[in-house]
Amino acid sequence: MQRRRVCGIDELPPGTMKLVPAGKFGVGVYNVGGKFYAIANYCAHEGAPLCTGFVGGTNVHAPDRPGQLMFVRDGEIVRCPWHQWEFDLTNGHTLADPTRKIRTYRVDVDDGEVYVTA
Amino acid sequence: MRTPVIDTNVQPHFRYNAELRKFIDPAYKTRAIPDVEQQWYQAPGGDYRADLYDGKYPGSVPETVARQLFSEGGVDYAILNPLTRGNIADYLLNSRICAAVNDWLVERWLDADVSDRFLGTIRVNPEDPRGAVAEIERLAGHPKMVQVGVPMQSREPYGKPMFEPIWEAAAGFGLPVAVHVNGGNGVDYAPTFAGHAHTYPGYAAFMPLNYFVHLATLIVEGTFGRHPGARFVFADGGYDILTPLMWRLDTFWVSMRDQTPWVDRYPSEYLADHVRFCSSAFDGPTDPADASRWMDFTNKSDLVMYGSGYPHWSTTSPHDAVEGLDPEQRAKLLWRNAGDFYNIQSLTHLTEGSDA
Amino acid sequence: MTTFDIVPSETAAQTVPVTVVDTDVHPMPVSTDVLKTYAPADWVDKIWPRGNAVAPVSHFYDTPDAFKTSSMRVDAMPPRGGFAGTDPEFAAKQLLLDAGVSIAVLEPMCDHQLPQHEHVLKSTYNDWLADVWLNQNNAHGRWRGSVSVSAQVPADAAREVERWGGHPYMAEVLMTPQTRGIPFGNPHFDPLYEAAARNGLPIATHLMGQTPFELIPVYPVGNPAHWHDFFASWPLLYVSHLMSLVFDGAFDRHPELRVVFVEGGFTWAMPVMSRMDRIWEQRKGDLPHVRRRPSDYVREHVRFTTQPLEEVEVETYLEYLDMMDMGDNIMFSTDYPHWSYDSPTWAINRFPADQRERIMKGNATALYGLPAVVGALPGERSSGGAEAV
Repeated sequence: MQRRRVCGIDELPPGTMKLVPAGKFGVGVYNVGGKFYAIANYCAHEGAPLCTGFVGGTNVHAPDRPGQLMFVRDGEIVRCPWHQWEFDLTNGHTLADPTRKIRTYRVDVDDGEVYVTA
Repeated sequence: MRTPVIDTNVQPHFRYNAELRKFIDPAYKTRAIPDVEQQWYQAPGGDYRADLYDGKYPGSVPETVARQLFSEGGVDYAILNPLTRGNIADYLLNSRICAAVNDWLVERWLDADVSDRFLGTIRVNPEDPRGAVAEIERLAGHPKMVQVGVPMQSREPYGKPMFEPIWEAAAGFGLPVAVHVNGGNGVDYAPTFAGHAHTYPGYAAFMPLNYFVHLATLIVEGTFGRHPGARFVFADGGYDILTPLMWRLDTFWVSMRDQTPWVDRYPSEYLADHVRFCSSAFDGPTDPADASRWMDFTNKSDLVMYGSGYPHWSTTSPHDAVEGLDPEQRAKLLWRNAGDFYNIQSLTHLTEGSDA
Repeated sequence: MTTFDIVPSETAAQTVPVTVVDTDVHPMPVSTDVLKTYAPADWVDKIWPRGNAVAPVSHFYDTPDAFKTSSMRVDAMPPRGGFAGTDPEFAAKQLLLDAGVSIAVLEPMCDHQLPQHEHVLKSTYNDWLADVWLNQNNAHGRWRGSVSVSAQVPADAAREVERWGGHPYMAEVLMTPQTRGIPFGNPHFDPLYEAAARNGLPIATHLMGQTPFELIPVYPVGNPAHWHDFFASWPLLYVSHLMSLVFDGAFDRHPELRVVFVEGGFTWAMPVMSRMDRIWEQRKGDLPHVRRRPSDYVREHVRFTTQPLEEVEVETYLEYLDMMDMGDNIMFSTDYPHWSYDSPTWAINRFPADQRERIMKGNATALYGLPAVVGALPGERSSGGAEAV
């Protein structure tokens, strides 16, 4: 584990991700609405390259709405590119089964530079 | 002390058509109704145990059934679940048929039974949800009615929304719903996923497995989630495929959660509170040495209740139903699971260590 | 029989041992225009009508994020462009090199509502597959193909099988299980089974399209509303076909026939074999033409592919598979490039140790007559594919 420079903060605007070659599979550093998170590029299920998956939101049950669903948390959920398991970028937990999680890493911003400890 | 036995699946039959017609609503007496013997796929040589063709229609004489189950068979309680003969186009008529069957069951079997060992099923027609709810409300108060009964055959799986008021009504009265393959040749789709079976075994072996689609939809549509008291019994068994198919349902849930987020746990976690099975002659390893270990996958030991299927040709004795099981599994299957599920409290000889 | 040029794999610089055979991979033509070049001229407008005709909705049930993914692995889109599974070189890189698959059995998916149209469409796919994947891009000799046939016209299907019999890289016949209410054991299919058995080709079956609705098929108690419960129940179609094959005597009529059930699970095989055995023991008189125990037929004649593997605690899963004792009947598959892909390195640990080699390669090698070594790809390590951890 070491603190590594990812990029300048301007190079990682909200809604984007940079893949850092740390560890065996790499670490994805995400800017989610101005906050930074980092996850292992390795799905807890079968080892898919998680950071190639789409980032979006998810649905919750909304029994009073037509369609029964409400879309929430846009930009906070990454879905595995293979089986589409939903992972919460902010804590690495699978939405369905919180006991399934992926490795997360600490990100900090210092003097306009983004660092991840991985 | 002998082991108590609760038989959760016995089919009483009519002696002849006139016996049913006697109970039909006068407004429907001009209607033709399916013959009380009609089958979809009849077993060659007869649908019933060979020794029961003694002049009277098998299962049609309460005294005979009581003697064979209780006096000779060692059974303490028997849950009677009469068949209807097919889903028919006129759903109101079919509800009247169900009502007639229920009135017959009450008069001929339940009220007439001074031993209080026969328990009953309120037959309803799911294609008439309003009528089904009314029928449940009409008879739920009868002290010997312990469940609601519906056919396996259906043109929509039971998790779909049109049926929900029925399950809600049953749960409101604390009554489980027994799903059972019915007789008759009704307004139904072919019995297998690949069309009609061309042999009787091809039908008989496959048909019970259709319960899984009912079960899967009851979970995925959220019925069990919305109704904590909703309980279903799959009375033809089929629990042999429960483990492989529930594993699939569990596996795909993690991927599919956002389409049906009201499913808030692994599907298999609904089984303990919501699902039971009657034992079956077709379920389980052919080698009894594997039976005990096999029954523990998916906690089937807690889900299966002895059901003979009397007077069907595949009727299983209590002894055969528990072959290869350990003592705890035997007790659960023969009486404990059913005693808890149907709240049968009055078995005075049900004490600890009473396994024979 | 078509003529073709094959680049012999002996010219490849190196070889690697076969360690992983993948029995379910889905190639696609890079465009309909390319596919059309393999079709008879007078059928092109019939099968692909011009004008406003938009292809009917290809499915009723949405896989996760279906709109963006089209049910594919998100990372399987070829960098040169095109849809997942259309680029043989990229597929070789992702599946053969990265994932460590030694040999892959290619199964295109296509169907058409009308019998003759479907027959011509399937023949067209066979010519396309044989040319693009089995010839032009098979110097390494690691792709195998399927002879797609229409279940609607078994006599024509039989002729198509004969056309490809003897092709060095066509490993099996492929038909839909969605057979419009005719179960697999029905004599309707006998001409096809005879041709397949005569040519030493197993009959594989795999989900095809979902339209029209009755073809899904209509489940006996009605159809679920979501992919989740629909696909969890799907193995019951294979169960229905398997019971028919046994009880309707197909294996007695065709002693050399082998059937592969693809992508329909396999853990159900144990209870279904017991179920068939139990009813056969009790009702032998109803099945005079079924001379052997049903489970014996299954062990001899039937194979199952592994994907999608169930997500269960590994100890429980290993115990079940050990009890099931079907190590000779299960063949590993990935379903590349579909979304529900199983990785070989993940999968191998989910099989009992004494079944692994058979499942990962031995059974498929025996069934399809595969070699023990194949051509190496540039950069491939000499020890080849997946190892258990």
